[in-house]
Amino acid sequence: MTVLAARGVARSFGSRVALEPTDVSLAAGEVVALVGPNGAGKSTLLAILAGALEPSEGTVERPDRVGWVPQRAAHYGRLTALENLRLFAALERVPPARADELAREFELPAETRASSLSVGNRQRLDVALALLSSPHVLLLDEPTSSLDPAQRERVWRIARSVAEDGGAVLVATHHWEELADLTDRTLELVEGRLT
Amino acid sequence: MRAVSLILRKDVRTLLRTPALLLVLLAYPVMIAALLGLVAGYANAKPRVALVDEDGLPAHIVVGHHDFNVEATIKEVSRNVTLVHLDPDEARRELADGKIVAVLTVPPGFVATLQQMTKSPTLEVSVTRGGTSGRVRQQVQALVYTLNQKLQRAYIDANLQYVQLLLHGGDGKFLGESFNVIGLDGTKKVLDTLPQTDRVKRIQRFVHDARLALAQTGDALHATAAPIQLVELPQRGRTASLSAQVQSYALGLTITFLSLVLAAGALAGERDENVLGRLARGLVPPGRLVAAKVALAGVVATVLGLGVAFAFAAVIVIGDAPGGEPWGRLPLLAAGLALTGAALGAVGSLVGALAREARTASLVAVLLVLPIVFLGLIPPEVFAAAGWVSDGLPFAHGVRLFSATLYDLHPWGAVARETAWLVGLGALFSLLARSAVRPFRP
Repeated sequence: MTVLAARGVARSFGSRVALEPTDVSLAAGEVVALVGPNGAGKSTLLAILAGALEPSEGTVERPDRVGWVPQRAAHYGRLTALENLRLFAALERVPPARADELAREFELPAETRASSLSVGNRQRLDVALALLSSPHVLLLDEPTSSLDPAQRERVWRIARSVAEDGGAVLVATHHWEELADLTDRTLELVEGRLT
Repeated sequence: MRAVSLILRKDVRTLLRTPALLLVLLAYPVMIAALLGLVAGYANAKPRVALVDEDGLPAHIVVGHHDFNVEATIKEVSRNVTLVHLDPDEARRELADGKIVAVLTVPPGFVATLQQMTKSPTLEVSVTRGGTSGRVRQQVQALVYTLNQKLQRAYIDANLQYVQLLLHGGDGKFLGESFNVIGLDGTKKVLDTLPQTDRVKRIQRFVHDARLALAQTGDALHATAAPIQLVELPQRGRTASLSAQVQSYALGLTITFLSLVLAAGALAGERDENVLGRLARGLVPPGRLVAAKVALAGVVATVLGLGVAFAFAAVIVIGDAPGGEPWGRLPLLAAGLALTGAALGAVGSLVGALAREARTASLVAVLLVLPIVFLGLIPPEVFAAAGWVSDGLPFAHGVRLFSATLYDLHPWGAVARETAWLVGLGALFSLLARSAVRPFRP
C-alpha cells in the first residue's frame, strides 16, 4: 500500500533547476535510501515531500502525519530543547506529555538553550521534533551526520519501528553503506534527476 | 489564532530573555527623542544678524527731547537675534557663507533724518536665501517693530509739544527756526477783552472747541500710533518639553523604532533559525506568521509606550505642570499605541520578509526609522511632497492619534480618521509582507 506518492514534482529557484520532474512513492513498511552527490537535489525533494516547500510543478499525496528532519538544524536557539518540543507539540496539537516523553527518550538537556547545545544534541532535538506527531512517514535528511554511534543506532531503530508499524521512511544520506541492512531499496538522485 | 498566539508567546519569551536588547530598544529611541528635542531647541536659537553702520551712529541720539543710548537701545530691541557689528564687505561675505542670516544696514543720513522727524528714515535688510529666510525676515521685522515702538514715544512727545504750544502758546523751534505763538489760551484772553459782537462770540466758540479737542490729542496720537495694543497676560504655561506635541512625538518615535526593528528582526529571525520550512508545513502559514510579528510589535509598543507615557505623567504630576496628566485618556492611548505599533510592525514585517537575514533586516529597519520620523516632522506647508509620503506611513498618523487621544477636547473625529488610516496602512503592509515572505530554501 502506497503511503506517500509524488508525481512529476519539480522545483526551480529562479533560473536554476534544483529538481527535474520526478515520481516517488513510498509503500507501507519500507525504508528507502536516497543517495546522490552534494547539490543533487536530495534536500529539495525531501522538503517537497514534507510539505515544507511548494513544488514548481507536480503533486504530492501524503498522510496527515509526516515527520521531517531537515539537513540543517531547524529549531529556536533561544528556547530550550524542551520548550522547542512543547512549542511544536502545541502547533501540531500534540499533548505536551509527548514532548516531555521525547525529551527524556533522547536525553536532551532540559534547561539548556538549544543554541548552547552541541551539534549532535541539536540534531537529536530535530529528530525528536520530527517524531512529535508519531508520524506515518518519516523523511530524514542526513539525520546522523553529527551523531555518535549509539545515537545513530537509536535513530535507525526508530526508523525501523516506524516502518514496522506500517509507515514508511525515506533517508537521504551519503553513508548508505551503514544503511545496507536497514533499507529495502535505494534511489539515486544526480543533478536533479532520479537515475 | 492559536498558531499566532503560540508564535507571539514564543517571541515575547525570547525577547524577555535578552534584556540587553530590550534595554537598547527602549533607550535608543528615548536618546534620539532627546537629541531631536535639542535640535528643535537649536531651531529656536537666536540667528546671527550683522549690523552694518554706514552712518556712523553716535553713542547717543536725541529724538524729540528723548536721549537714546544707541548700544543699550540696540541691545534691548534685539533680544531675538544676535547682532554683530560688521563692515559692509565682511557682512556680504558672511551672508554668502551662511555665517550670518541677515544684514541690517544703517545707511548714511539715517540719524539726521530721524532727528528731523519730518519723514521716516530707512534701514536696509538683506536676508539669506533658503528655508529659514521667512523666519529670519520675521525676526528682523520684529526687531524694527520694537525699535519703532521705542521711537514712537519720542515722536509723540515731540508732536505733543507742538500741540501744547498751540494750546498754551510760547517759544518753539522747527527745522532750526525759532518762533513764538500766542496759543489758544492767549487768543481766548484777547477775545475776552474785545467787544462781544456776534463775530467775536463765534471765534470764542471756535477757540473753546479747539481747546477741548486739542486736550484729547495725546490719547489720539497714542491710539493712532498703535491702534491695537497687545498685552501679555500673566499665565503659567506648561514648558515646551512637557507639551502635548513633544509627548506625542516622543511616543511616536519610541514605538516607531521598537516596532520596525522588532518586527523586521523577528520575521527575518525565523529564516535564520531555519524554521520557516517546519512552520510552512501547515503549522503556521506565512500570513499567520506575519500576523504574529504584527501582534508582537503591537504588544511591545503598548507596554513600552505606556511606560514612556507614565514617565511623562510622573514628571507632570511631580512638577505640578498646568493642565495635569489626562489619566482618564490612558486606556484610549493604550489602544492607539497598540494600533500604531501593529501598523508599524507590518512595515517592519515587510522589511523582515524582504531581507535575507535578521542582521540585514535589523540594520535596514534602523536606517528606515529616521527618514520615516523626519518625513512626519516636516510641516506640509514647507515641503508638500514630504506630507504625501508621510501620509503613506504610520508614524505621522500615530503622532496625530496620540495628540488627539491625550489632549483634544473632542478627540473622536481625529481618533476615527487616524484609526482608519492606521488600520488601512497596517492591512496593506501586512499583505505586502505576506506576499514577500520567501519560501523555505533547503
